[in-house]
Amino acid sequence: MMKKKKKNNADAQIKRFSIGMISPAILVLAVMTAYPLIFTLVYSFSDYNLLKAMKDGVQSIGLKNYTDLLTDSYFQQSVWNTVKFTVLTVVLEMLVGFGMALFVNTLRRGQKAMRTLLLLPYLLPTVTVAMIWRMMFSPNYGIVNQAMEALNLPVYNWFSDIHTAFGMLVLIDVWQCAPFVFLLLYAALQSVPQSQYEAARIDGAGPVKILFFVTIPNIKKSLALCALLRTIDSFRLFDKVNLLTGGGPANSTSTITQYLYNYGIQSFDFGFGSAGAIVMTVIVLILSSFYIRRAIK
Amino acid sequence: MKKKLLAVLLAGTMVCSMAACGKKSGADAGSSKEDSGETSSMSIVLRGGVYADVIKECLPAFEEEHNVTIDVQELSEDDLHTSVALNATSSEGAYDLCMVDGSWMAEFTDSGVLANLSDLGYELDDDIIEATTSICYVDDNVYLAPYYGNVTVLMLNKANVEEAGYTADTIESMDDIVDICKKAKDSGKLGFLYRGDSQNNLVVDFLPILLSYGGWVVDENNQPTVNTEEFTEAMNCYMELVGTGEAQVKDDLVASVDSGAATMGIGWPGWYTPTEDSAADYIALSGKASADSEANNANVYGIWCLGIPENSQNKELAAELLTYLMDKDVQLGTVESGGVPCRYSSLQNEEVLAKYPQYEVVCQALESGVYRPVMAEWTEFYTTLGTEMDNIINGAKTVEQGLADAQAELEEIMAQ
Repeated sequence: MMKKKKKNNADAQIKRFSIGMISPAILVLAVMTAYPLIFTLVYSFSDYNLLKAMKDGVQSIGLKNYTDLLTDSYFQQSVWNTVKFTVLTVVLEMLVGFGMALFVNTLRRGQKAMRTLLLLPYLLPTVTVAMIWRMMFSPNYGIVNQAMEALNLPVYNWFSDIHTAFGMLVLIDVWQCAPFVFLLLYAALQSVPQSQYEAARIDGAGPVKILFFVTIPNIKKSLALCALLRTIDSFRLFDKVNLLTGGGPANSTSTITQYLYNYGIQSFDFGFGSAGAIVMTVIVLILSSFYIRRAIK
Repeated sequence: MKKKLLAVLLAGTMVCSMAACGKKSGADAGSSKEDSGETSSMSIVLRGGVYADVIKECLPAFEEEHNVTIDVQELSEDDLHTSVALNATSSEGAYDLCMVDGSWMAEFTDSGVLANLSDLGYELDDDIIEATTSICYVDDNVYLAPYYGNVTVLMLNKANVEEAGYTADTIESMDDIVDICKKAKDSGKLGFLYRGDSQNNLVVDFLPILLSYGGWVVDENNQPTVNTEEFTEAMNCYMELVGTGEAQVKDDLVASVDSGAATMGIGWPGWYTPTEDSAADYIALSGKASADSEANNANVYGIWCLGIPENSQNKELAAELLTYLMDKDVQLGTVESGGVPCRYSSLQNEEVLAKYPQYEVVCQALESGVYRPVMAEWTEFYTTLGTEMDNIINGAKTVEQGLADAQAELEEIMAQ
């Protein structure tokens, strides 16, 4: 009887301790994530305009923001641009980052120096990256156009030409973010047991077979995590677009976030902007659901 | 028991500390400082660049005289717009003086963002160019003071223009401008440059051309008029101009015109200071579509005004600062550093004109300038119009289709 009582006391103590330990995290999560998310959801059903609300208050308008948003051809184009951008950058970044990781992993000397050098673009602030690329591709003093002119190649107004602007944004994002993929995959490659490589080589496997039957299966969780993180990040692309193209020319580079900035934030129409943010969250959740389901299992 | 006592003691200490940390209300704090002769502080928010630089150089004298330290925040146009609006939602504002673009006037006064300057004892004087004050009043009360006389001008490369058989003085109409740009393109240079990096820039750069054709974006009732004959003609002219050049960001545009890589573009006086030896110059647009057509007011204001937020905690001192900054002698002193006062005493000053002859052009442009429409929906308006213009310029829509779509969308915005 006494033993049982002691055990119950110990269990209750452990439970209390667990709750005590977990409660700060829950509190932070509730304040920093749940509260803004719920507020955004509530605002998305209202006509909340920052300035007009000071005079007229906020009225509920049901689903109007959502119907306006989903029937707007410019929003549809922004969604399509965002999906296209996300797919292209994630695929390219995964390939380039993986290639970099494999290359550095095979180096016998200078791994640390190479690792640091390859990481540099990812360490730069996005504003700096945007300015560097704008200067390099400037139609006036840009080194790229000057080099192309010297080689008698056609020159472009890279960020204002409807045929090149989108590609430029993809290129810059891949340049900046492939090192992130490299970093994660390089760390994963370090943990692949060398014995598996040796066994594969003894069995006569070539480099391609080793890659597909030893390396990739061993780092597939890291590959999936990388793809998920890059998908979420690419989907939220804003700063590069805003700084370099503003969504133009002719909406060819307008992403969901840029659209929301132009039509929601700039005009202080936060109700409409909130509806856009909710739609965007839902799309990201759908895109990442595959990974989340696997993670929960 | 001991533990409980300790817990109560600790809780009591915490409550006392929090109470001790609570600050006095702004007014009380300010008055106590004034009473004790302590240095008080103010915060002002300005548009970054030369607009803020000329104000910053005037501040030390005011700070010394009033025993005040002034914290200056310099922001980009978009950030300034957002910051002033967000600041207005607090009961106690963080800013005591703010720079306001003329096109924000309607939405700011509609929502009570700005303080009534007349109530604070400030009035605009007769030395200020009258046309620049047209948006500063609401029911005869002053809400803004026009500080920096930004007005659109045609920036041009003198050599390229001469090569095309013209001089800055002989450009009489839009036809001449198109002719010069076409000749420049034929000789392997860029003709007309425009800023295509945002809807606002697209619209603003086009407005002087629209005005030259006698068109405008709204009628007297603020209803959209973008699908009219005048607008279509102006857009067709703009397409001809755009065909001779390309879109560039502001810094590239100035560099291109200065180097002669491009021939002309719509600009602002704050961007470039021409001298007799400089390769580039600027002129006020004549406002004529062709040599024999009527001349219209074709210069669009981008005047940076000064206002006091309604929720400022130092309104009286802010009004004193505003009066000081708007003083004719103080404003004359800013010319040397690139200031463009909206004052006759500065722009027609003989010494100033001897050194900076371009101020004559600026003065003419300011006398006959036009403000962007004064309406609370202007941000949505230019976003929509700029988007459709972007589509037209890049061939995604025809002029007719783009303007018809813009008209329909703008009517919907104005009906809400």
